[in-house]
Amino acid sequence: MELPLGAGIVMNTETNIPLLEVHDLKKYFPAQKKFLEKQAPPVRAVDGISFALKAGETLGLVGESGCGKSTAARTLLRLIEPTSGQVNFFGTNLFALKETEMRNLRREMQIIFQDPYSSVNPARRIGNILQEPFEIHGFQDKKENAEKATQLLEHVGLTPGHFNRYPHELSGGQLQRVGIARAIALNPKLVVADEPVSALDVSIQAQIINLLLDLKERLDISYLFISHDMGVVEYFCDRVAVMYLGKIVELADSEQIYNSPQHPYTTALLNAIPNLESGRIKQKASIKGDIPDPTSPLKGCAFHNRCPIKEKQCEEEIPALKEIVPGHHVACFLKQ
Amino acid sequence: MSSPELDVQNLKVSFSTLRGKLTAVNGISFHLNQGETLALVGESGCGKTVSALSILRLLPEPPAEILSGKILFAGQNLLSLNAKALRDLRGRSISMIFQDPMTSLNPVLTIGEQMAETLLRHTTMNRQEALKKSAYLLSRVELPSPKEKLKHYPHQLSGGMRQRVMIAMALSCAPRVLIADEPTTALDVLIQAQILELLENLKNETGMSILIITHDLGVVAEIAQRVLVMYAGEIVESGPARSLLNSPLHPYTKGLIASVPKLGAVKKKGTRLEEISGNVPSLDQRPSGCAFHPRCAWAIDKCKTQKPELRPADTERQWSCHLEPGSL
Repeated sequence: MELPLGAGIVMNTETNIPLLEVHDLKKYFPAQKKFLEKQAPPVRAVDGISFALKAGETLGLVGESGCGKSTAARTLLRLIEPTSGQVNFFGTNLFALKETEMRNLRREMQIIFQDPYSSVNPARRIGNILQEPFEIHGFQDKKENAEKATQLLEHVGLTPGHFNRYPHELSGGQLQRVGIARAIALNPKLVVADEPVSALDVSIQAQIINLLLDLKERLDISYLFISHDMGVVEYFCDRVAVMYLGKIVELADSEQIYNSPQHPYTTALLNAIPNLESGRIKQKASIKGDIPDPTSPLKGCAFHNRCPIKEKQCEEEIPALKEIVPGHHVACFLKQ
Repeated sequence: MSSPELDVQNLKVSFSTLRGKLTAVNGISFHLNQGETLALVGESGCGKTVSALSILRLLPEPPAEILSGKILFAGQNLLSLNAKALRDLRGRSISMIFQDPMTSLNPVLTIGEQMAETLLRHTTMNRQEALKKSAYLLSRVELPSPKEKLKHYPHQLSGGMRQRVMIAMALSCAPRVLIADEPTTALDVLIQAQILELLENLKNETGMSILIITHDLGVVAEIAQRVLVMYAGEIVESGPARSLLNSPLHPYTKGLIASVPKLGAVKKKGTRLEEISGNVPSLDQRPSGCAFHPRCAWAIDKCKTQKPELRPADTERQWSCHLEPGSL
């Protein structure tokens, strides 16, 4: 099957090329220069990450705030321009595309944002918000677009009655359904979900996760699922990449991550999740301190100042991400 | 047993809006025992924050209006105090910490200036002494290099550090009651674990009581001894944290617990989570009878018309549901 993407790009979905390949992606933000001071080093928000996403797969990208997971997502969709690296989407290097070509390709890759209220235009009706993707991508038949928008509402569990409502008339959960409907409008192959349930209530969270699972089945979508919540990720993802300060520190099947986490940071994240049954964190606050300042990264392993098992080597050298058993990658000297 | 530290009786709060007078808290009663950590749980819009803000009379009145009720603390009804008496009380006997430490600290004052403010207002200390005490308080909340931090502005600190500053500030006058409104919601899990442990240690040291407001049942399991579950402005279930979480009585509590993804509970990829259908009702569309009935899988005809009263299930637990205990 060949998908015409306009601008001379033809995407072949039948070879074994992964849906998405990320090679050594970097995004540095320049630090603000202070008067009479030397230019400070840049913030290394994403500092050389590589991973691949197979068609039909769901990859979780987890980490604490400030670890670069959202920047990584925005950079690989070219919503912000990368510093260096390469991202291939079905073999097409995204960073080599012209802006118009990129815009055409965007219908295949969509994003769902964390805060449903700030990701829609408050002055437009829901129906208009949902027709916008069609208008932008050259579907001019207004009546047909309106029909498609109504269908989308039903796909995501809303009713045609929501068509003429304004965003403020909807609850957070309903509005997140609108955000999802907009993302799937053009039948994308890849959906990046950036903390899609973090802003929602617990009972609504479960509804939205179930909706995303249903859509994956129905529409054959691959997800890059960004979250700080290890519990949600376990439900949702086939593989998990754990990020810390701009780097991936562990990457494996979710079964391996949850049953035999290797990196001390992954272990700490799992241990910090309160357990409803026993009511005690397994190891109380095993990790002290905060994430170090990304403008002045530590020498050696970025996690060493908080690490309970660090050794001399960790303070001097940066561990590389290595495969320790097939499919299980870890960046820790003590586990390699 | 001694009398409770804080006793809230039949509190009813409404807001005047363009859509008329809306009741946010509909006659709730609870007490906070000395040295206890009580959690007020519910989803957004259920009235938990409004209840907490009413205790310190921090709601803007109007549009808010406390229609009825009593809040007894140290032998007086907080609802009948004048503005000056309330100012003497806030931050001294009852303190509060908020969800977002960035918006609750003043961005143009240094940490030292805003910490000293509380002490200067409530004690006879001079500026010098207040700053010294502030540094000591910051060390108590395990903030590294506290003396230096006094000269910092809020934006120079991380979220976890700011929340520590808020806690230090709230505890500066050794309050008897600490109201913590979603204190860890804006924080990462590793920092959340640290802050919860800190709150527990400080409680054990000082003997204060904590009323913690949260939507996160994990936090409840972690820190609370007793729980109140709120839905649409009313308490639907209360009881000791352990037994409430292990064997919920009310369908809503049961649904809430079931919809939390639990580690290790996934048997097969793509397993659906148990969900509560529908949405939290908005204040102007409160369903008749039991407010939860449109979302309840066990609802019977009676639930649509008749409002269930909060009734005891055993000596420690209460619930409001027409069903018989154990029928879920």
